[in-house]
Amino acid sequence: MPSRRMPVVDIALRDVPAVAATPPDRKRVLARLRLTNSSFRTLTLLASILVLVILGGVIIALIEGSLPALRQFGFGFLVSERWNPVTENFGALAPIYGTVVTSIIAMMIAVPFGLLIAVFLTELCPPWLRRPIGIAIELLAGIPSIIYGIWGLFVFAPFLQRTLQPALIDLFGPIPVLSTLFAGPPYGIGTLTAGLILAIMVLPFITSISRDVFEAVPPVLKEAAYGLGCTTWEVVRYVVIPFARVGVTGGVMLGLGRALGETMAVTFVIGNAHRISGSLLAPGTTISATIANEFTEALGDLYTSSLVALGLILFVITFFVLAIARYMLMRIERRIG
Amino acid sequence: MTSVDLSNGPKSVPTPIIGTHAGLDSELEEKISVRNVNFYYGDNRALKSISVPLYSQRVTAFIGPSGCGKSTLLRILNRIYDLYPNQRAEGEVLLDGDNILDPAQDLNLLRARVGMVFQKPTPFPMSIYENIAFGIRLYDSLSKSELDGRVESALKRAALWTEVKDKLHANGLSLSGGQQQRLCIARTVAVQPEVILLDEPCSALDPISTAKIEELIEELKTDYAIAIVTHNMQQAARVSDYTAFMYLGELVEFDTTSKMFTSPVDTRTQDYITGRFG
Amino acid sequence: MNLYARRRATSRVVMAMSIGATAIGLGWLVLVLGALLWNGFTSLSIAVFTEMTPPPGAAGGLLNPILGSLMMSAVAVAVGTPIGILAGTYMAEYGRYSPLSSVVRFINDILLSAPSIVVGLFIYEVVVRPMGHFSGLAGSIALAVLVIPVVVRTTEDMLLTVPKELREAATALGLPRSHVIANVSYRAARAGIITGILLAVARISGETAPLLFTALNNQFFSADMNAPLASLPVVIFQFAMSPYPEWQNLAWAGALIITFAVLALSISARALAATRNAQ
Repeated sequence: MPSRRMPVVDIALRDVPAVAATPPDRKRVLARLRLTNSSFRTLTLLASILVLVILGGVIIALIEGSLPALRQFGFGFLVSERWNPVTENFGALAPIYGTVVTSIIAMMIAVPFGLLIAVFLTELCPPWLRRPIGIAIELLAGIPSIIYGIWGLFVFAPFLQRTLQPALIDLFGPIPVLSTLFAGPPYGIGTLTAGLILAIMVLPFITSISRDVFEAVPPVLKEAAYGLGCTTWEVVRYVVIPFARVGVTGGVMLGLGRALGETMAVTFVIGNAHRISGSLLAPGTTISATIANEFTEALGDLYTSSLVALGLILFVITFFVLAIARYMLMRIERRIG
Repeated sequence: MTSVDLSNGPKSVPTPIIGTHAGLDSELEEKISVRNVNFYYGDNRALKSISVPLYSQRVTAFIGPSGCGKSTLLRILNRIYDLYPNQRAEGEVLLDGDNILDPAQDLNLLRARVGMVFQKPTPFPMSIYENIAFGIRLYDSLSKSELDGRVESALKRAALWTEVKDKLHANGLSLSGGQQQRLCIARTVAVQPEVILLDEPCSALDPISTAKIEELIEELKTDYAIAIVTHNMQQAARVSDYTAFMYLGELVEFDTTSKMFTSPVDTRTQDYITGRFG
Repeated sequence: MNLYARRRATSRVVMAMSIGATAIGLGWLVLVLGALLWNGFTSLSIAVFTEMTPPPGAAGGLLNPILGSLMMSAVAVAVGTPIGILAGTYMAEYGRYSPLSSVVRFINDILLSAPSIVVGLFIYEVVVRPMGHFSGLAGSIALAVLVIPVVVRTTEDMLLTVPKELREAATALGLPRSHVIANVSYRAARAGIITGILLAVARISGETAPLLFTALNNQFFSADMNAPLASLPVVIFQFAMSPYPEWQNLAWAGALIITFAVLALSISARALAATRNAQ
């Protein structure tokens, strides 16, 4: 070894055999390793196929369970408003109507609020406040729906009955169309209350996804717009929103999927009345609330089957809404990289 | 074994081998011979008909501008590219006469025989001791004291023992970059390979750590065939016995290191070594 | 200049609206939590944790639903977690580049947000109806079906963040893929996977809909998973909808307990994720 080199290698090195005198017979070891590996691989493959099986199982079980009702009522099940357990005559129109109307109310409130909060968080909020508000929003999303339900029943509905609902009735009473929409009396519980509770529930979802998408807008784009002399609102309107459109739509659809399927928060406050009322203040029902309220008390196969058929309708609707949501979020993820 | 000293000329120079590498030195054992290998990333041909030998007890350096395929070639020798879809190799790579590109080749066995050290130090998220022990345990069932001995000898082999012997159960990530890289070398040595592949092992290290690793390579070559990919020509000149210059997926020239750095034949080799490009 | 003033005014108005929206959103959180804390704490007592659910109009506690919820959640996690981790492992490791993984990812994301009441109907059809009766076991299976997508998603995400260099280095030692996964990938992603499990527990601890017609309810304590079993959310639902003040108070107390459990779980999950990022 040339002397100019520092002896960094330990002296003990020389005594150590570099390669074992008898190379271990690795054949058996290798066979065992191959077996372990292929069994583990099979196990993980089966588990991921199980995910598909669960979805398939849900679809098959719901179709099978709803066959008696669908055979009995046919297509009429979808468009009939009657719901009579005594004569065993069932139709899904009232719950479908309730589900759609409560979700529309929820989205009409939650979407603008969610977007505005996301604008606040990304454009205006001082950095030290961002994290606490972000955490608060995620906690709001984590609160179980039954908590919103019990709060809605005992606190929010009585409050609405005393304040907002009489005010709406008085305000819109003289106006032709709106007077039907807000016809009294103020029950407290009802379609509007359910829609408002749903709005509170989906707000955190829409907010946090919109915020994430807004934050993904490349800063140079915004800087360029500010450099042209745009105001904050103009930057949001002409740079941030166009860039984030697909992602925000995905977030809104995800929120809609949740609103459509939400059970407990709605069940507490909707009133469970099987009729389609012109007034938003009247009690109504949704698909999920009907199932939750009546399933264990349903007597007779036809009654049970009709409830399962409702579940099938709900599942089909939410499946498509969620599929669109995921597709859009996938597109924006791909664009962000 | 001495390092090649450029000013005094080569000491025991095998017959110069250029291009086809015909007429190999009979004293040297050809551990790996790459024969007419092509490599594809999807439809993109990254290596073009490469043929090159790796000798036992010698260090072979692969140099060339980035993207020339030198790392790609190294990744064929232990078939690590098999982890990814759309990457495939054609041709023959003989390890002791057996073609490792054969689909029937057991990859775990191959990789235990052909060890690899990567550009970025990659200690596993576990203790220093475990980093080395768990590869050994896999193939050999040893008693606790035998295992301790194997871990110790691997760490000594990688010139790391004196620095870590008092903290064998500390997390491998707590070591410095140079120590982490020597830990990775120790880990590779512990599995008792026959060939060691080094993929730019010093590019993330400071000069002192680099010197230690180079010293180590000098020591290790008494027992292994070593291939090193480097972007640093001085490093290639310091540590290797043979040098292969690659350019645009082709092997331009292969010869003893002294010959390559004093009188290369191809003008592209000349230009690269004199710093005219790359 | 007139135009500029108008533009600036528009911007100010919108920004003021966004501040207002945030204030209302946060105010709502305060209102919900405030009402919950007030009504919950005034209804909370030692008896809530030591006594069984009372008959209508009498005093009592929530011991049996608390135990029932714990039992069902434990079984659900024990069943759902390994399946979720294995499936996530396939998607991020063995099947990383296979089309099957994309399909499973898409379907899993849909299951993740599917209405939980539908899961309840599914388990009713495939477990309760064949068995002929409601049971804690059926409830556990329904909850397990909700656990799986959460764990699949986080496991896959976390394994995908394990650097490929680490995986290559382990593979280059001659380790088979199964050992690379167990010794390197799982270790590197451990904190993230545990975070996912905690979030899954948080999710199921408040779930009511899937239990209504699987586990049903039980006024007494039972350790028999083959019989109907009380759970906190279902008891809250039943008691809150009743006309008896004693029951309504117990419902508030139960709601408080669930909220604390969920918040504790999500905060530990966040703390765990934060330590992982700090590393």
